[in-house]
Amino acid sequence: MAKQEWRLLLTGDMSAFDNMALDEAVLRCVVAGTSPSTLRFYGWKPSAVSIGYFQGIEQEVDLDVCREKGVDVIRRLTGGGAVFHEHGSEITYSLAIKDDYPGIPRKVLDSYTLLCGGLVAGFRRLGLDAEFKPINDILVNGKKISGNAQTRRFGGILQHGTLLCDVNPHLMFSLLKVPSEKIRDKLIAGVEERVTSIRREMGTVDKDAVIEAMCAGFAEVLQIKLVPGPLTAEELTLAERLKEERYANPAWTYKR
Amino acid sequence: MPTRPGLISADHKAAGGKLLRVRMTISDDTPPLIQTLHITGDFFMHPEEAIEDLEQLLIGAPLDETALRERVQTFFDGDVQVVGADVDDVVAALLKAA
Repeated sequence: MAKQEWRLLLTGDMSAFDNMALDEAVLRCVVAGTSPSTLRFYGWKPSAVSIGYFQGIEQEVDLDVCREKGVDVIRRLTGGGAVFHEHGSEITYSLAIKDDYPGIPRKVLDSYTLLCGGLVAGFRRLGLDAEFKPINDILVNGKKISGNAQTRRFGGILQHGTLLCDVNPHLMFSLLKVPSEKIRDKLIAGVEERVTSIRREMGTVDKDAVIEAMCAGFAEVLQIKLVPGPLTAEELTLAERLKEERYANPAWTYKR
Repeated sequence: MPTRPGLISADHKAAGGKLLRVRMTISDDTPPLIQTLHITGDFFMHPEEAIEDLEQLLIGAPLDETALRERVQTFFDGDVQVVGADVDDVVAALLKAA
């Protein structure tokens, strides 16, 4: 069978609102058949905190500190936990396919294993000892280096996640609500112990090389051919609308 | 159950590591009835909007393990995938608040 051709999208650094609106716009266009299955890589500028679909924003995020530090706050379409996306310190990916894409398990948990397998293969290409850890994490040398989240909507599957280049738990926990200073210190120590980064594991961060390795990992695991391509006019127009109606709209951000 | 009517809340850590947080108001009946309910946390549910069905299903329920378990089980038996929490976790979170 001929390999499925996917589009490889490199959109660089964007605001949280543009990033999340684009993920949804691409998903909707993939489902509509006007865009091919897509793997996208991007970054965040300015830094942002994203919270999971089901999280209470006031419960999780110190909105005053975020405002003070110029950190955007956004609610994702996907479940999962709060993530600090520091400008320059993370490579983020998203992939969008139709929900009847051949070989994708119907069970969400099983599909994480398959799709995260592309990243595991990518990290291994970089010489790192990576493994998938259910529910939705990837570990290198036993420590978390990537968190992932999936939604199935509109007839499609969107999975996005982080590849940690540098880790800054002090800044991260200054932006998140914690029960007390003592617990804040414990949480910071916990991240230092359980979370790692590409810099810590490799001594340096070559983002292009990481993206290239991840592309090769996905191509290997999913048996696909990635072809670089641009965003379509339809996706850009839709993303603008979704940004206004959803992601930059307080009714969405503060809904829980 | 020495539960005071009004706003109550609890956090429950599920076995898989996800956090379930419940906030609810309850009546002064015996046992108390759930009047309003918000379930938040870092779990996954597909489709996501089903969380509102779960909350609706539990409003009016007595804070009693058997009654809660029956309603939560009905929800989980429906066309929904919850990842990172199970029936026991939701029931445990609700009872912990009481």
